[in-house]
Amino acid sequence: MNTHTLTPYEAPRIGVFVCDCGSNIAGHLDCPDVAEYAKTLPHVVYVKENLYTCSEAGIGEIKKAITEQNLTRVVVASCSPRTHQPLFSSSCAEVGLNPYLFEMVNIRDQCSWVHMGTRDAATQKAKELICMGVAKSAGLEALNEIESSLIRKILVIGGGIAGLSAAQALGDMGLDVILVEKTASLGGLLQQVHQLDSGVMAKEALSQIIDDVRSQSNITCYTSATVTETGGYIGNYDVKIETQTGLVEEQVGCMVVATGAVPLIPEGILGYDGRQVISLMQLEQLLQRDKLDAKRVVFIQCAGARTPEREYCSRICCMIGVKNAMLIKDKYPLTDVRVLYRDMQMYGTHKEQMLWDARGKGIRFDVYTPDNPPEVENGKVTFFQAVTGKTQELDADLVVLSTPLVPRNDSGKLANMLRVPTDQNGFFLEAHAKLRPLDFAADGIFVCGSGRYPATSTEARTQGIGVASRVAAILFKEKLVKSAIVAQINPDACVGCMACLPMCPYEAITYNRDKRICEVNEVLCKGCGNCAATCPSHSAMLRGFKPQQLLAQIGAA
Amino acid sequence: MLDVGRHPNIKLLAYSELERLEGDAGNFTATIRRKARYVDEDKCTGCGACAQVCPTPVLDLYNEGHAERKAIYSWFAQGIPSTHAIDPDHCRVLNGKKCGICQKKCEAGAIDFDQTDVIIDLPVAAVVVATGYDVFDPSRMPEYRYNQLDNVITAMEFERFLSASGPTAGHIYRPSDRKVTATIAELEKKVKKSQKALDRFEKTHGKKSDEFYAAYTDGSLKPGEDLEKDQDKWAKRVEAHLENANPLAVLKEKAKGFTTAKKIAFIQCVGSRDLRFYPFCSGYCCMHSIKEAIIAHEHDNDTHTVIFGMDIRAVGKGFEEYKIRGGNNSNISYKRSRVAEITRNPDECPVLIYEDTREQKIQRQAFDLVVLATACGPVKGAQKIADTLGIDLDRFGFFKTDPSNPLDTSRDGIYVCGCAHSPMDIPESVAQASSAAARAAQTVIKKNDQKAS
Amino acid sequence: MTKDILVLGGGIAGIQSSLDLAEMGFKVHLVESLPSIGGKMAQLDKTFPTNDCAI
Repeated sequence: MNTHTLTPYEAPRIGVFVCDCGSNIAGHLDCPDVAEYAKTLPHVVYVKENLYTCSEAGIGEIKKAITEQNLTRVVVASCSPRTHQPLFSSSCAEVGLNPYLFEMVNIRDQCSWVHMGTRDAATQKAKELICMGVAKSAGLEALNEIESSLIRKILVIGGGIAGLSAAQALGDMGLDVILVEKTASLGGLLQQVHQLDSGVMAKEALSQIIDDVRSQSNITCYTSATVTETGGYIGNYDVKIETQTGLVEEQVGCMVVATGAVPLIPEGILGYDGRQVISLMQLEQLLQRDKLDAKRVVFIQCAGARTPEREYCSRICCMIGVKNAMLIKDKYPLTDVRVLYRDMQMYGTHKEQMLWDARGKGIRFDVYTPDNPPEVENGKVTFFQAVTGKTQELDADLVVLSTPLVPRNDSGKLANMLRVPTDQNGFFLEAHAKLRPLDFAADGIFVCGSGRYPATSTEARTQGIGVASRVAAILFKEKLVKSAIVAQINPDACVGCMACLPMCPYEAITYNRDKRICEVNEVLCKGCGNCAATCPSHSAMLRGFKPQQLLAQIGAA
Repeated sequence: MLDVGRHPNIKLLAYSELERLEGDAGNFTATIRRKARYVDEDKCTGCGACAQVCPTPVLDLYNEGHAERKAIYSWFAQGIPSTHAIDPDHCRVLNGKKCGICQKKCEAGAIDFDQTDVIIDLPVAAVVVATGYDVFDPSRMPEYRYNQLDNVITAMEFERFLSASGPTAGHIYRPSDRKVTATIAELEKKVKKSQKALDRFEKTHGKKSDEFYAAYTDGSLKPGEDLEKDQDKWAKRVEAHLENANPLAVLKEKAKGFTTAKKIAFIQCVGSRDLRFYPFCSGYCCMHSIKEAIIAHEHDNDTHTVIFGMDIRAVGKGFEEYKIRGGNNSNISYKRSRVAEITRNPDECPVLIYEDTREQKIQRQAFDLVVLATACGPVKGAQKIADTLGIDLDRFGFFKTDPSNPLDTSRDGIYVCGCAHSPMDIPESVAQASSAAARAAQTVIKKNDQKAS
Repeated sequence: MTKDILVLGGGIAGIQSSLDLAEMGFKVHLVESLPSIGGKMAQLDKTFPTNDCAI
């Protein structure tokens, strides 16, 4: 045991507050008896039973007791720490007791609620739980929250519609932005698109945003540039950018990944030849240059998507297919336009309306099934019409293959550099599929646009703007403040075995080659305790849950 | 949710409505009506003792009407704030009757029958509209007989059945069976009571009621026996008893055959992609049905599900994979068809009538339970909200935005997100909510800068 | 001049907007017409595609 972290022994003065929670607790166990028992526990100098400890009156009692009784530890035996710990510990702090000297015991959720009807047993269990809580509280240490500085500058990687929207929104919020685009021009995939589903020309929509981004003095754009190195952590990243004029080193507080995706080139799929059988993106360019010359056009949806090799649905190709089918029909009304599909993914209000409109214009939609895919040969498309069960042959002088967006081939490299995950398809993996679609699990790094999963231009723009919110929620603060419940590694005891490194889900531990020990970055650490459980030399410990604290708790049981 | 409740920068005004909005971006005044809860928000600790003693049951809309709550209630168990509210339509006191039991029970002294609505004015710089959606009422579609057939329910009702905290604790009992079970419980109560009365007679006379009654009806009772003054009364009691006991026995016999629903059909696009109602697609319902089918299968591996739809729109990250997984591992089959009609078999099983296009035949198929994937439509009162805010609705009835500025409504400083914008699933709502927040923040920052310069 | 922001609706969208704005340092007034927030999502048992609990 190292000596220099030991504090001089000082007998703690513990106050225990037992909550009746109306009848939620008191209805099923004997609270006065539990309170009497608490008085007998070591170091307990004050006990109070409250009708509701969380009520204003209850909180008042805690504060009063801390001041008048000189309490140095507070234990509340009530409900769930998930809901009430912050209230109680901050109330302690208000009268000068370090919030980490507060301990909570749940005698409701896992005690009174589950032992209804066995009053004596419930009472006994509550006593034991409190005994354990008091034992742990005696060993608690005062801790200070961890603070760290924030650089109010953001690196946005990718200059497509998502990255541009993020940069624009962040700039509008008064933050400094560095926008890095790999190619020579801003605009991404939309530069190759003819007209958007809203009827606006893609070039016009883009140039409006690009002009605005270029005009903002707090946004620096680097084109033909790549990010080559990143280091540091939330609030303090060091990045290196290879630009046309040489290497630029920057410090930023947050990073945004907006690298987009690329359309699959359907080599070897459905007779693709690039002339009579083309991809959707090639069609966009034909339309852009007004070079379309065909009397019979057949679109085949899900070309290379929703297959065993590429299971996912690329979300946007049905809409783009229908949009272009309509454009062709509008411009050349005598052209026969047919769409072969599996499921028309025209979700939402506007897209489904497009589908109604397309049918109204005389575009024909037919269902095929994946077990019986269409065949394209010599200007003919043969397919099994799933609805009628008949095989049909269509003449086509142009076949358009609606191919999915696929991840960029260098996205894995970027993911490695940023130490963020990708999913089984190679798209960047967000922190939570439902509730945190724009965050990475690593704090301070965000994702938007088709690099995460194929998105329409409107969706990519929405996500780009949304990222600005997520970033500002961090960078608008004066400094980063986080819980003191983090891991620490005793440098004298650590043997540098690195067993803790792979256990840390937050990449918060690094190996110091000079000292040959492992070190915790407190800003990155989230206090999960994996390292402490793994460490063979017991040199890794989680503050607030140190072995001696937990052993005291267990020992009391 | 919890985070909202305790965030120092968020003032939660639950049970409140916007009455008026005046001024311009950067300088609005919002007038809010805080509806009377009849419970003091500062005193109530949400312990729920009041709801335990309240004598007035009310249909629980959180559980889609499949359970009961009390006239004093919290919307749902984990609700934030946990402050209870009194339903003024049902509370006895608020309707001039005698009661007040909750007030006596409440140890925090939070019940206040004299509370009135409070109107407050708030200066705000920007507004985010996240008023959500309302689900299509399937009784508007006569062919699905939602009102007549007990075992035809909506996806949200099914969701409550699946929930461990729901009315059936997660077991999929058919509503028709639940009705029978409820009737049995009611009759049992009555029979228990009438049996007690019979017990007294039996004790006095040392004779079983059925023996007595048999003798009574065939006239074999001798007048000399010591029953004279009692026998008519007793007979009446027996008759009253049998009035309940006989149907109870029948129902109990019937209930022996009840099992949970194992053959379940989902019908997609109920009210959506339908020119009679909503022409648009609700986006999330295909996935919602697949999810419900997977969870139902998790509960009971004998569950078989058929999802009837025109397209299965699994459009989202991981959704197509989820759909395939459902088909492979959870006994789900997907049938491309629009169901024409639902009728019923004598055993209460709904029967779907649909065209199998491949066979070119009209099919009839019976299921234990049919779930209607009802459309996501504009929230009731959307026009009123739009008028109050001074913003436009789009042709579908949602709040109108421009595709190149997807969060901005027709009025500067007012932004919209989630299903108030258009139907969408949760991750899209969350992403859009962040975006609307960014737009609102930009407005505040810009307007304040202008003011400063 | 005020920096407060009004959010109408306490479903998942309103909650997320409010939290983001509050974290940015703006004072948020969150108005919900029902007695508690949570919206439709609070009625859901689990959510796709991860089958996580909705609450």
